[in-house]
Amino acid sequence: MRKLFKVLILSLGVFTVYIIYTGSVKLYDIATGVIVSLIVSYLTANIVIEDWRKALDLRRVATFIKFAFRYLLIDEVKAHALVIRLGLSPRLSLKPAIVKIPINSRSDYAVTMTSLAITNTPGTVVVDLTEDNSVLYVHWIYATKIEPQEAYKEVCEVFDSYARKVFD
Amino acid sequence: MILILVLSLTYLTYLGGLGELPPNDVRLIAKNYLNLTYNPYVKSLWASSPEAVTAIVWDYRGLDTLFETVVFYGAVLAAITLFRKVAKEKDMLQSKGMSVVVKRATAIVTVAMLTVAFSTALHGHLTPGGGFQAGAIGAVAPLVMIVVFGKRYLEDRGLSYGRLLSLRNLALTGIGVTSIALFTYALIQGGFSFIFQNQGKSLSPYSFPSYTLDVPSGGILLFFNVFEFLAVLAGFTLVFLILLGSDELLSKEFEGGENGY
Repeated sequence: MRKLFKVLILSLGVFTVYIIYTGSVKLYDIATGVIVSLIVSYLTANIVIEDWRKALDLRRVATFIKFAFRYLLIDEVKAHALVIRLGLSPRLSLKPAIVKIPINSRSDYAVTMTSLAITNTPGTVVVDLTEDNSVLYVHWIYATKIEPQEAYKEVCEVFDSYARKVFD
Repeated sequence: MILILVLSLTYLTYLGGLGELPPNDVRLIAKNYLNLTYNPYVKSLWASSPEAVTAIVWDYRGLDTLFETVVFYGAVLAAITLFRKVAKEKDMLQSKGMSVVVKRATAIVTVAMLTVAFSTALHGHLTPGGGFQAGAIGAVAPLVMIVVFGKRYLEDRGLSYGRLLSLRNLALTGIGVTSIALFTYALIQGGFSFIFQNQGKSLSPYSFPSYTLDVPSGGILLFFNVFEFLAVLAGFTLVFLILLGSDELLSKEFEGGENGY
């Protein structure tokens, strides 16, 4: 029964990908899309979906969309500006360091979202994370703060809080 | 210097230095192919497929493609035979796979890969792509999964030698059955039809359906693409599954000391 819900939720996503990739909405595409989305999500539901109830929570979806805009329009731009400034400055004034950052996200997807958001902004790369997913080791090209809590505020507080709202 | 070289080479080619140039009316061939693949006005000549390449590969020279599939089947069969000791065994290494970040990201991407593969197979007669391409796309999904999640993880969730082999055999049987389906049908009806016949010809009116729902189906092409997709997907996955075994498992194969059979 639980598997059925997982499959149905996932198949919505699969169907969307199918239609976007195919690029047409003829009857044939919709019919095959329904069949394919059921097959693919039956095969992968247990691996992909942790808790299907979260996918139905519209507040989480809305937060995720809000985060996507915020991330692309504000955080990415800020990080790019910093790296461009570093790259163009005549003295190569880098302060590279690998800092230890504790995070509050707990579920697998929340940790993934946090660390991918950090990695995808230029200047910071997640190098490793501990076994229990509570601490990230982040390589930071211009490390202004070394202490874990301070660095947390600088690098990933935004991502972490959004990830918790979306996935935890 | 480079300019002179390029210009002189161009001039030589233009003069026919690389052999005879194609004639100016080469477009006639393209016109011919288009007329013979998707031509709703002369239905005794068409293949009901807007995708000329697929029509040629599976309709014009379907037998050739069938043998290509068989060659691929044989190659995978040879690989399995070489690794016959370890092919059926679960891996003893309980690999933990990569970090949770890679696992979650891969899980999502895998779903997309399989979806794209299915779409490529099902639209092989409408857009570029087809069975083999779809199978190759789809086989990346298990390959990445084996590396990221660990082989044992997938084996414990039902990806097994037996199932893949059955899927592959089923798909190849499907190709065979499809190629003689119309022939058998015509025989039962008391008429006659060619093996590998797709649409009705002037000699034989029997025909696969030309349209599925609201798009041209390519008749036989749709079935061939789907079966080829499944066969290639299962074949590649089978080989990946065997070759990506842990050292301990594979070393059983290399120890030797086997006498006879």
